[in-house]
Amino acid sequence: MFVLSPWLRPPAALLCAVPVLAQPQPPDPDLAERLFRSGERAYAAKAYKEALETWAQLLQAAPRSAYAPEVLLRLARHFVEVEQKPEAAMPYLDRLRAEFIKAPEAPAGLLLRGILLARQARRPSDLKDAMAEFNRVLDFFPRSDACAGARLHLGRAWRDQGHPGQALQFFIDAFRLGGDSRVAPQAMFEAALTLDAMGDLPGCLQMLQRLRTKAPQSSEAAEATWRTALLVKQRLVKPPLRNEGPWPAGRTKWLKTPTLLATAPEGDLLIFQSDLDHVFRLHGNDLTPQGPAAPGTRALLVAPSGALWLLTKAGLLREDATAVLPLGTLGAISGAALDRWGTLWVADAKTPALTLFPAEGPPRTVASPTASALAALPAGGVLIAADGDRKLLFLDADGQPRTIVPYGQGLPAAFRTVTALASDGAGQVAALVDGGDFGEGVVIFGPDGAVLRQATFKALGVSGRITSLALDRSGGLILCDRRNDLLLRLN
Amino acid sequence: MRLRSLLSCFLLCAALLGQDAALKDTFLQAKALWATQGDREGATARFDTVVAALAPKGVALEPDWIQVLCESYNWLAVLDDRAAPTKPRAQVRLQALIDLNPDFDVDRGLTSQRLAALFDRMKGEKYALVKLSYAPEGGRLLVDGQSGAPLPRKHLPFGTHKLTYTRPGHAAADLTLDLGPRDVKAADFTLTRTSSTLRFHVQPTDVEILLDGKSLGYAIGKAGPEAAPLAQPLGLRPEDLSAAFVIAELPPGKHRLELRAPCLRTKSLELGPELATPAADHTLEPIRLEPSKGTLSVTSAWPGGELFLSGQSFGPLPVAKAAICSGLYDLLVRFPAGGFSQRLAVVEGQTLSLDVRPKPRLAFAGLEGGDFTGRARFLAQLEALGDRLQQVAFLPARPDEPPREALARLKASHEAELILLATPVQDQKVIHQVELVLATLDGEEERLVVKPLEQDPLGALATRLNTLFRTQEPGLGLSLLDVPGEPGPWVLAASELALKAGIQVGQPLLQVDGKAIPSVQLLRQQLEAAKGSLSLSQGGAAVSLPVRLEPLEIPLGSPDLCYPAVLAQLRLQYAGAKGDEANLVKLNLALVLMQFRKYDKAIELLRDARLSSVRGLSQGTIDYHTGCCFLQMGSAYQSEAGQAFRQALKYPQATLLGPDGPLVAPLARQALEDLR
Repeated sequence: MFVLSPWLRPPAALLCAVPVLAQPQPPDPDLAERLFRSGERAYAAKAYKEALETWAQLLQAAPRSAYAPEVLLRLARHFVEVEQKPEAAMPYLDRLRAEFIKAPEAPAGLLLRGILLARQARRPSDLKDAMAEFNRVLDFFPRSDACAGARLHLGRAWRDQGHPGQALQFFIDAFRLGGDSRVAPQAMFEAALTLDAMGDLPGCLQMLQRLRTKAPQSSEAAEATWRTALLVKQRLVKPPLRNEGPWPAGRTKWLKTPTLLATAPEGDLLIFQSDLDHVFRLHGNDLTPQGPAAPGTRALLVAPSGALWLLTKAGLLREDATAVLPLGTLGAISGAALDRWGTLWVADAKTPALTLFPAEGPPRTVASPTASALAALPAGGVLIAADGDRKLLFLDADGQPRTIVPYGQGLPAAFRTVTALASDGAGQVAALVDGGDFGEGVVIFGPDGAVLRQATFKALGVSGRITSLALDRSGGLILCDRRNDLLLRLN
Repeated sequence: MRLRSLLSCFLLCAALLGQDAALKDTFLQAKALWATQGDREGATARFDTVVAALAPKGVALEPDWIQVLCESYNWLAVLDDRAAPTKPRAQVRLQALIDLNPDFDVDRGLTSQRLAALFDRMKGEKYALVKLSYAPEGGRLLVDGQSGAPLPRKHLPFGTHKLTYTRPGHAAADLTLDLGPRDVKAADFTLTRTSSTLRFHVQPTDVEILLDGKSLGYAIGKAGPEAAPLAQPLGLRPEDLSAAFVIAELPPGKHRLELRAPCLRTKSLELGPELATPAADHTLEPIRLEPSKGTLSVTSAWPGGELFLSGQSFGPLPVAKAAICSGLYDLLVRFPAGGFSQRLAVVEGQTLSLDVRPKPRLAFAGLEGGDFTGRARFLAQLEALGDRLQQVAFLPARPDEPPREALARLKASHEAELILLATPVQDQKVIHQVELVLATLDGEEERLVVKPLEQDPLGALATRLNTLFRTQEPGLGLSLLDVPGEPGPWVLAASELALKAGIQVGQPLLQVDGKAIPSVQLLRQQLEAAKGSLSLSQGGAAVSLPVRLEPLEIPLGSPDLCYPAVLAQLRLQYAGAKGDEANLVKLNLALVLMQFRKYDKAIELLRDARLSSVRGLSQGTIDYHTGCCFLQMGSAYQSEAGQAFRQALKYPQATLLGPDGPLVAPLARQALEDLR
């Protein structure tokens, strides 16, 4: 028997009751207003249960009243923003769209519906319905404040479908044509990222500057500040790498065989210590354990929510899930990445393909040379190092090579192998390389594959066994030395 | 119409003055005919002419003419008494004389004893004699509340009369008399002094007199011959001075006397306490006020302006160095479209130069029907909206004109560029909201709903109407970034001119005009105040770069701007702009029209616009927007859209928004791909 989940029951009951109660009755316009105001008062006092019940009563008693569309929108927003149950919001938004398309609340409802549909998408083609909803906002309500939001989300949808040109048009229009001023900083930020992805670095930097000038108090402006510093340093100034020594604050022999590094979304460093079989979060100088114990971890990922994903011989351990997901025959995991659709990309040193584990459905493989290392690219897609072919491959979201960089291109001498890869979220990728005439060292590449900075460990005076690396938010490079149980920072 | 009335008035006054002179001449001729030639008939005829002219006005005549009329009656009584056929008329003449002025006495040298006795007897039948004495003299006598000259003898009708004698600086004295036949009564007035008085003449007249800041009235009229001793030492005639102005009660202590008049320099006099105490009558030297003028020049780049100062026309612009009386004026320049208004203070000896531009005129059509609480308050706020607006000239609604009629009139007359109409929103039972529609004459409109009972329902509208927008900003040809850790704005890119001058890309600016400048924002502030050029240093030798105006797109969809008003302002700006500036205005007009979804009108403007620049906001920008407009007009115009986008691609450095905005080329390229 089909059973509704508990959070779907109240809206379902409400919607079922509507046809019965909507039978001809003498309308009482005052009642609708009184119920609306009563619900409003309760909601303002955070008495959500009382407010929802009162508004539900309004929808039953006066389903066609002028307050109905506003109530539908507020109920939907409540389930999205307060209850964090977007699925529960959909019935209200569907009804708003079906019965009150001419109401002033309709554009905001359509926009919210589109956003929820976009969130549910698991592949680019899933965005079609969401984009249709955003386009409806623009077509039906060209003067609505919701248009700016619709343009922003249309831009994101085009970007996620691999069409940066169209995405840029919508991002620019989202802040150029105005409307909801809260959207403008986000749109400028997205436009800047898109410009960078399209190879217009000056345009990207000018857009970030515009964002900081026009919306200096926004969170996007703070993000733009460090990105500006990073982009100028890594891409334009490109100072030679210099060894700052043990980090942080000269600490030595303080770790137990660190083997893997990753950067959390807010900038903290995550360190897997092999002897302790555990991941630790380094915040300032404080080191705290995080996530489950994971012996033999081969790859360390951080989901957008901040949860740890650990790939071990036993399978995938997720901090936000109890069960271990088996990874099939993959026994020599050399790298992993998580894309914006929630798909896990796994490279195996003994498998000439990439294995993709989607959020829903069975795993599949994408043809690829055997990858010795893998890192996610911020614009979508991944970077793999194919030691066999001695090439770095920038793959797009479909796994197709977009840029191929032979080992040693742009360097004084070639290297033979790539031990680890790391990306910084602003388009730069760092490779830990070895062998060949170049020898052991690090190379930082731009999003187009051009070498930005490089140095050999010999030149840097680095000794030890470096197994992993991470790019920090100020353009520095953290190296993980398992032999000496410490971290090093290059700047 | 007004001119015709003035002309009529002038002619009438001239006729009356001419008539007065002729009548006096007739009166003198009549006296001479009898006295020197003994022509009784001739004299009688002329006196009759005088009487016929003056008698209908009776006591309403001025004192001089009453005197003429009385003398004429006296003469006619004498002449009539000399011939038997006319003798009965003599008594009629005497009766008319007594009725006109009982205090007039016949000329005893001219009039026979018999006739004089008849006169006395006739007067005694109705009037009693009152003999008056005044201490001090020079005051004013009121008989039964009516003012008259303080004569020593007065004939009053039988009955009870109240006599009051007043004099400045003294307490008034009252006296009541009961008069009967053959009564001869005495009335002696002795006044008690209460305060000092101050008496003075002013040159010129019509000057406001203020004592200790309080207005006492105006010094008006002309002084009589008695003022000659005061006028002559100053080289003036008595009639050049005002009639004496008397401050009747000067309180004890020091005082400040101030004399003000338009076009004259205000004069202040300090009055010492000795003038007030002891109480006495004081006469000041005549006070002369000197002319006070400033110079005003008004020019405008816009044609067809006419200058008005407080409603008085000063002719078409330019007005150069016009001498204007000092004071406050409401300056108005009327243009064929738009107007400029400003409250102006002209200061003596100073030169004011104004270069004015027309502002859009916003006409309030009225508040439509529908009763609601606070309607009167809300209407008053609407009527006073003009006091809060700086960027538009406000035209209030005409009294008693229904809003719909006002709308029709304004649309037909084009006397305003913007129209505001307020309509109450009927919400079921009561009105809680009023919709304000602000529209251009072409129909681009914005609607906003306000609550009439809120504290300031029009505050947001006024703020938006006052918000300034720019289509240009000063720049140096540099693209600058705030890079954390750098000591100043970091040069991302520079124009050829800046590179030639020595600016280095990839280096921060350390100093501007010799001062450290840590951020782009602060540099922008300095640019706003800069004139000509700025000196920049990146550590080496300073580089001087010219400050130039760089074009901007107007911000669209901004909640701070009222777009119908923006359109109206841009249209007026266009009328006074030339070259690239005019084309930039056209581009911005088109952008705002696009916001109103008037793509056809926008295309018309964009097609005519040509910008000479190829970087930043330039011809490529215009072509890109032209393409966007064609796209919005549907599939029929796809080829035109494609052509415009291809044209835009010819300007790879063209940007949107401003000099540092996103490049047009990738957007145009994408639009072309979409079209394919």
